[in-house]
Amino acid sequence: MSGETKNAKPMTTLLNEETAQLATFDVSRIPKQLLPVLDVEKTVALTKVRVDPLAVLKIVKHARESHPTSVNGQLLGLEINGVLEVTHAFPVPTQLGSEEDMTNYQIEMIQCLREVNVDSSSVGWYQSTRLGDFMGQPLLDVQASYQASPNAASSVVLIHDTTKSEQGGNLSLRAFRLSAAYLDLVKKGEFGTKDLAARGLTFANILEELPVQVEGSSLAKALVAELQWPATGNGAADQLLAQELQRPSSFNAKLRARRLADRSAVADDVADDDVAGVPGLGAEGLLPVRSVGFLGRPVAALGLEQADVSLARQLESMGELIDEHVHDANQWMYWKRGEAKVRNARAQFVERRKDQDEVPEKELDAMFRPLPEPSRLDALLNTANLSLLTKAVTQSRGPAMTKMYMAQALQQDN
Amino acid sequence: MLNLNLPTLASSIVKSGATTMATTTTQQCYVHPVVLFSVLDHYLRRNDNQERVIGTLLGVRSDDGRVIEIRSCFAVPHFETEDQVEVDMEHHRSMFALHKRASAREQIVGWYATGSKLSKYAALIQDFYSREAAPFSAVHLVMDTDLTDGQLSIKCLQGSPIGAGAHPENCMFLPLPYELQYPDAELTALQAAADSKESEEGYAVLISDMEQLEKSIEELKAMLERVTAYVQGVCKGSEKPNNVIGKYLMDMLAVVPKIDSKQFSTLFQTHLQDILMVAYLTNLTRAQLNIADQLQRIV
Repeated sequence: MSGETKNAKPMTTLLNEETAQLATFDVSRIPKQLLPVLDVEKTVALTKVRVDPLAVLKIVKHARESHPTSVNGQLLGLEINGVLEVTHAFPVPTQLGSEEDMTNYQIEMIQCLREVNVDSSSVGWYQSTRLGDFMGQPLLDVQASYQASPNAASSVVLIHDTTKSEQGGNLSLRAFRLSAAYLDLVKKGEFGTKDLAARGLTFANILEELPVQVEGSSLAKALVAELQWPATGNGAADQLLAQELQRPSSFNAKLRARRLADRSAVADDVADDDVAGVPGLGAEGLLPVRSVGFLGRPVAALGLEQADVSLARQLESMGELIDEHVHDANQWMYWKRGEAKVRNARAQFVERRKDQDEVPEKELDAMFRPLPEPSRLDALLNTANLSLLTKAVTQSRGPAMTKMYMAQALQQDN
Repeated sequence: MLNLNLPTLASSIVKSGATTMATTTTQQCYVHPVVLFSVLDHYLRRNDNQERVIGTLLGVRSDDGRVIEIRSCFAVPHFETEDQVEVDMEHHRSMFALHKRASAREQIVGWYATGSKLSKYAALIQDFYSREAAPFSAVHLVMDTDLTDGQLSIKCLQGSPIGAGAHPENCMFLPLPYELQYPDAELTALQAAADSKESEEGYAVLISDMEQLEKSIEELKAMLERVTAYVQGVCKGSEKPNNVIGKYLMDMLAVVPKIDSKQFSTLFQTHLQDILMVAYLTNLTRAQLNIADQLQRIV
């Protein structure tokens, strides 16, 4: 401390020096690769979202544990050169009372994480969903507030669908941002048919989807490799297979076990007991050329049965949404009719009074108050949800058909 | 800040009964993959000149305390010198309180550390965590981030007091059997991570269900081809026969359900019709929505 005070200069000289330095600061001297880092004005548009496996797992875990309730949490990371890197995520408790509690919780958590060198800037939030119809006013409002804040302007919302991930055997994680058109209309607070048409806002472009990539550190990749091939070492190939069959803690064995789970207990027994300590398996022929071959994709990708349950649920909620849609449409028609009536009455009134003095517009407006158009936002969101849902159903039909024909092929060979 | 000093021999003789004896020992341990990823992330974000990192493990226990499930963890800053170790207690406490609010069920079950061998303060820290995890014993998870033998060699250990007097520094670490847990949803995430490892660019782009299925089928096909080649090799005598594999393959073949072909074709047809019907209905809805959207623009 004493050393510092000795060297300390009066504040004014320091300030002057700084401004002098700033004046001589030449932008062209910045190395090219550093330019994106210094992009304070956010001139580079966000093009993709890169998520660390750690963040993915945290989101997945949180969503799974509180399934089917929808939960959300905060994303931490960094934006650089149009790529939003999400490196950490933490859950936000659902039962928090006030807004203030929530903010405090997040601030405390971020502070604690900063102490252990975790990226401490917020880059958005995540939400779990069940059927894919996540679009709703709260989501849009929260995201709008994120995008409005100056230091987190490039925030995204990650939507994770646990059911879809489990049943499709494919990670369902999507990143969204609000479109400029929607933000404009929010600013104006107008959601009439004309406004929507003028800004070109439809159910399809309220949110903009960004491509999501998963990338881990080299150590994380080493871990994944070890999880796929536990305790491989530099042992011989048959030792590998013996361990592979015997150790239930491996990814692969787990997948294999699940594949057989409800069908044959015998097979599991073989995997668990008999293989242990069998010398010289002579299994070279069975080993894949590349290790990935042994890691089956999650089995659910090949399962037929479960999909039907969620399909029924999806159809149900589709029915509900269609009902709502019709209701919205009727309401709009009702308004339109009312509005037409008023306009007619006004036109007739003007016609009748043609010979007499002209009535000023203002008075006419007062006499025949035009009905304000109800906000189309709710209807729009409903349509958006319906669109999301139908799209999900349509997309799930392709794999379903493929699986069926696979089953058929298997049966024919019998 | 908790300061743990390596006690000198003299003082340790005087002191006794410092260790809280755990009433029940843990016998089985389940580890969630997110814990392992967190540990690695913490290690990568360590400070300069810091050799190892430690943190608190959170999880749930069975009622009798024998089975333990490590569900998550958080990093705790600490500082080691030649003769003393400092653990940031305040950070540990506040992080635990914050975690508690989000997932109330998770308790402190132990701690983790990185490195190829146990630190000399491991016993002291173990003693601290045993008190935190009381009345149960604390679990210690070690990951070798130096990749000795090219492996992360994840180990679960539990402390066991040795010697006549109970001193915190008298502790032997015994291996604890552990199993990794892979819930379905996590498997998909790990799959994505595995894909990122395989790809040349170092990252995996999330693909659609259809593409994922295609990959699955391709891999299945490759597996079948490998097995066919092996079986043919055995039949020809060029491969060494192996009873275990034979038994395994037989079981695999036996699990193909036998369905009467007539019955199957009925099932197939009805299912197909269902699918087509649903596809038709959803497409119809989509068409309607698009028409409605276009009409709105005209108005």
